[in-house]
Amino acid sequence: MELVPGNIFGVWAMVVVSICVLLVVYLTKEGKFLVKLRRIAGLEAIEEAIGRATEMGKPVHFSPGIADVTGDTAPQTFAALEVLTYVTTLSAKYNAELIVTIRMPNVFPLAQEVVRQGYLAAGKPDLFQEETVRFLSSEQFAYIAGVLGIFTRQRVAANLMIGAFWAESLLMAEGGSQVGAIQVAGTANMHQIPFFVAACDYTLIGEEIYAGGAYLSQDKVRLGSIASQDYVKFALMASILVGAVMMTAGNDWLRVLFVK
Amino acid sequence: MNWANKLQSIDRRIIYTILLIGLTIPLIWPIGIPLAVNDTTRAVYKIIEDLDPATDVVLLSFDYSPASAPDVHPSAVAIVEHLTKRGIKWVGVSFWPEGPQMSEKIMRDLEARGLKYGVDFIDLGFMAGMENAIAEFAQNSRVITTDVRGTHIDNLPLMNNIKTMKDFGFVIGISAGDPGYNAFIRQAVDPMGVKFAAAIVTVSVPAAMPFYASGQLRGMLQGLRGAAEYESLTGVAGRGAAMMDAQSIGHLIIVAFIAVGNFAYFLSKKK
Amino acid sequence: MRREIPLLITFLVGIIFLFGPITTGNIPVLEMSFRQIVSTYLSPWTTIITAFAIGLASINLLRLHGSYVARKRSGWINSAALVISMLFFTVARIIRELRPTDPEVVAFYGRIFDNIAAPLSGAMFAILAFYIASASYRAFRARSLEASVLLVAAIIVMLGAAPVGALIWDYFPSLQRWLLAVPNTAGQRAIIIGAAIGGFATSLRILFGLERGYLGGD
Repeated sequence: MELVPGNIFGVWAMVVVSICVLLVVYLTKEGKFLVKLRRIAGLEAIEEAIGRATEMGKPVHFSPGIADVTGDTAPQTFAALEVLTYVTTLSAKYNAELIVTIRMPNVFPLAQEVVRQGYLAAGKPDLFQEETVRFLSSEQFAYIAGVLGIFTRQRVAANLMIGAFWAESLLMAEGGSQVGAIQVAGTANMHQIPFFVAACDYTLIGEEIYAGGAYLSQDKVRLGSIASQDYVKFALMASILVGAVMMTAGNDWLRVLFVK
Repeated sequence: MNWANKLQSIDRRIIYTILLIGLTIPLIWPIGIPLAVNDTTRAVYKIIEDLDPATDVVLLSFDYSPASAPDVHPSAVAIVEHLTKRGIKWVGVSFWPEGPQMSEKIMRDLEARGLKYGVDFIDLGFMAGMENAIAEFAQNSRVITTDVRGTHIDNLPLMNNIKTMKDFGFVIGISAGDPGYNAFIRQAVDPMGVKFAAAIVTVSVPAAMPFYASGQLRGMLQGLRGAAEYESLTGVAGRGAAMMDAQSIGHLIIVAFIAVGNFAYFLSKKK
Repeated sequence: MRREIPLLITFLVGIIFLFGPITTGNIPVLEMSFRQIVSTYLSPWTTIITAFAIGLASINLLRLHGSYVARKRSGWINSAALVISMLFFTVARIIRELRPTDPEVVAFYGRIFDNIAAPLSGAMFAILAFYIASASYRAFRARSLEASVLLVAAIIVMLGAAPVGALIWDYFPSLQRWLLAVPNTAGQRAIIIGAAIGGFATSLRILFGLERGYLGGD
């Protein structure tokens, strides 16, 4: 068994980065490493949004994006489910009606379980209804049509969109704006960020969505994982700088190494 | 509410109506605004021009659905027209379930014009598995054993010399989302050095630019405009060019509304 | 064990999927490559699990809307339309799968795809143009220096991307290309790198069972 050429450097980099991440996570968990996250306005606004919906007696809508639990966008779905745990806890605390809409069938049972357990942990299992988590359609535009229908009929007061979004991002954000909902959105799909910035009150940009679970739960494992990302980023920034200098000087050793 | 405030909060329905009228008129009476061709489009054209019709087979991956078709399908048509004009044979594949329905439209048209399925082009159909399927197909392009019409690939001469994606002279992903061009870059371009370009939806253009700058994308057709540019290069008029006037008017209307909003904003601030 | 077994399965399957595309040759003892395990066992399993998930989700949808119709809840007519069209499309597709070479069946399915599914999806996608117009009108106000930069960049890109831009001012297309190729590319690269690292760390937590939120709690 051997590595496919073109992946050799990638695999070794993955091993080194994994060790670095797991080490920082371990040290943080053991209390030997203190992690403090900067304030993320979008995440802080979630409580405000749910509180406002409660005052108005209108529902809160949450979408974990339209990606599945496989493929390169899966981490965004998992990050969204982490935030959903927090949203469920807050909805239970304020007795706000929560509507979670789902596009991917594989995400449906996971979201149901997250919400059910969230209500159970908050001591309000009765709040979980069959229509709390709704599968709408696995067809992208049928899903968004369903969401817009819910917005119009139920006049949601808070619209939370965290996860991987594509063309439906603006439809959902503008639909939320039309019913006057306070909107918090976040995605790591770069091409959709401008739409969220234009149409929402708060936007989580790129990796901020991965910090959501850690930020909201203050769980040490997640905090350590977020801190480790910064170390990896510093290493990458250094290699970009060194690589740029080397290439400028006519030496492509680092470039060749990276594509090995 | 004074008029400066009113202009800052124009009813959506007014915006939508004006935009609808602005988009419809040029579709009925085209203006024919001249179009400059981007480097990204020219790069795709140049690669196809340099292919050898006797030896090179092109892979077209139809990864879009009817929803995004208005933005990318004209690009697929324009590329196929160029391949046909040059006598270059192509193989279709899809990693989106709706993809084969899109390629079927193109193939039906080619057959109506006398080109032969199995000789000039074939379609391997949909392969499930998203990015994993692209990885699998890249490493072993014979993993799909029958084409959309039920013929075994051993009986398809176009697949005779194809073992991996590297054996295709050029690979073009017509892509509207996930899995799309970036999955090809990860699974075929970086590890295998496959020569790859993409026709993408307009909204993905900013996100795809870094990959064009780095050379991972050899060329790129930028949405409907890319199709129109390609049509002007090949000289085969298609739907892309017809739609460009509407796009121009649409952009102008949006810019006008932004300008009105800002003008009113400054006036109200002064007061 | 309710947690440990799913976590163990997640770890093993994750490792196999991870090594599938990047290794060749057989795994010692197993006499099979990672890729073969993926294509022979895991891919069919993924399909089976997804099929069951679709079944589960569809039952939820039918029960929910079925109860709306039965109780004649306000707007029940929409629920009835959903249930009927869902059953119609399901039956049509099953017949298409059972008789793939029957030209009449193929043509009928093609017609409902071309004349119902395609225009409906296309219409939703087209609404984007209108929503972009209203969102940009509302959002692009020169309220601050940053907002003004965003506003100017948006106008240049919009006019530069449309053929009419060059008629208004020769430099719009080249300015648009510069904005996309330089500042945009720099920003996109930074976000791509950050998001990729974030995604990697999240995946690692899931792989090693450190992230259990998706299983319904910590």
